[in-house]
Amino acid sequence: MNCELAHERIVLAAYGELPDEQVHELDRHLATCSECSHERQQLLALKTLATAYPVVEPDPNFVTRSRIRLEEALDALPPKRWYERFGQRILNNFSNLQAAPVAALLLLIVGAGAGTLGGYEYAQARSAHAAGRVPTAQAAKPDPAPDAVPQAEVANISSIVRQPNSEIVDVTYNQVVPQHIEGSLDDPAIRQLLMLASANASSQGVRDDSVGLLAAECRAGHACQGEGIRDALMVALRYDKSEAVRLKALEGLQPYVAEDMRVRDAVLEALLNDSDPRIRASAISELEPVEADTGVRRVLTTVANSDRNPHIRTVSRQVLSRAPEFQ
Amino acid sequence: MDGPDRAAERLQARAPEMELIREAQAGSRAAFDALVRQYEQQVLRLALHLTGSEHDAEDIYQEAFLKAFRYIGNFRFECSFYTWIYRIVTNLCLDQLRRRKTRREDQAVVIDHSGDEIDILASVSDNRAFSNPAKELDRKVLGERIQAALSKLTPRERMVFELKHYQGLRLRTIGEMLNTTEETAKNTLFRATKKLRTQLAGLR
Repeated sequence: MNCELAHERIVLAAYGELPDEQVHELDRHLATCSECSHERQQLLALKTLATAYPVVEPDPNFVTRSRIRLEEALDALPPKRWYERFGQRILNNFSNLQAAPVAALLLLIVGAGAGTLGGYEYAQARSAHAAGRVPTAQAAKPDPAPDAVPQAEVANISSIVRQPNSEIVDVTYNQVVPQHIEGSLDDPAIRQLLMLASANASSQGVRDDSVGLLAAECRAGHACQGEGIRDALMVALRYDKSEAVRLKALEGLQPYVAEDMRVRDAVLEALLNDSDPRIRASAISELEPVEADTGVRRVLTTVANSDRNPHIRTVSRQVLSRAPEFQ
Repeated sequence: MDGPDRAAERLQARAPEMELIREAQAGSRAAFDALVRQYEQQVLRLALHLTGSEHDAEDIYQEAFLKAFRYIGNFRFECSFYTWIYRIVTNLCLDQLRRRKTRREDQAVVIDHSGDEIDILASVSDNRAFSNPAKELDRKVLGERIQAALSKLTPRERMVFELKHYQGLRLRTIGEMLNTTEETAKNTLFRATKKLRTQLAGLR
């Protein structure tokens, strides 16, 4: 601590304004610095000297006299007019509102947010509804031929008619209207679209994603019974060209191998016919828990004897040897 | 830790005052009179010690409370009423000090309403069993020297020293009353004490 800082802290300490931890630090400095120690003595002497000019309590008569004079002055003031009182009341109420700026601001933000969200939802709903009606309306009457119809928007061509003795051709086509929807995996509309995507998606990536999501839902036990999700996975397992998609579908069906004969049959079929050894190996592992099923034993025996992949044959034999309870 | 309890106590103690203020804002003269009675002693004490004149102190008292009455509708409870009223009083005192920058040297006495002098030092009680005239004279001279030294300070330095040394207020409160920061009030106090020490260097 330098002496200049010490001088300031001496003043603060003398008037009780120095934090405790700095008092200790100051004391240590004063113990070693005679100049600053003298400075403190001087300040304490000043404080003592200053008491020679003491603060005097006002005489009660003086106080009373002053109060009377004030009351006379207040009585002499003209009363506030009604519009002055009204204006003051408005200002006071406004100041009360100002006293809660955070609450007022939050209220504004919440209200604006709710209004925006509500408007967005409404617009989305209207747009979805209008899109559902547009294709029917378009098919009802012929439009003049546009300059060009983007090929990606054409779903299919339903008819072509040439008008007699003319160059005019009537083409009826169905148009794809791009739509966007967002929702939870539990949403029936989302699930329906995912199931459609698993079978009809134009790109493998989309089929991969849709099957992956459906399979994950089934593995998690999220209501895969009545909505056709198992069917979609079985279709994907049987027909999809992508090994990754078929593998995901197989994994999604695993929880239902024991309880659902259709699922078990689909897995057995995959074990017998799938071209990918990984999928056949996964099928074997999914069939292990199944008990007392002669069909499973027969398929495992066939695979153990004739599968083209030696690893698959070995694994099949191991499963058969570990499960003598198969009948 | 008694901090939160003390704060709650202070809030509770202030609750009746807040009601009074609201009533006064609504136009209740009785409520305003009650507020005056709560603070008039402190206001007069401060004004009297700063100005050294009962007449000037009474003028400051009058003007301060008339202003308070006129502008109480603007009080927003952002600070205590005490701080608010003291802000008015200190500004009036500063104006007074600026007007009277060149003051009379001998301030050992104050002037009462009838123009008679009252010896401040005579009102200081001597707790000893016997009085010492020589000591009394010393004290009177000392008092005069102190007042002379105080008059050499700028109005702001004088005010800060008055509020800190004589009125015992916190530097933060002083900053609020003078519409400045605690840091500025602190630096003003440093300057004031340094000047006073220089002025009173020869005294023991």
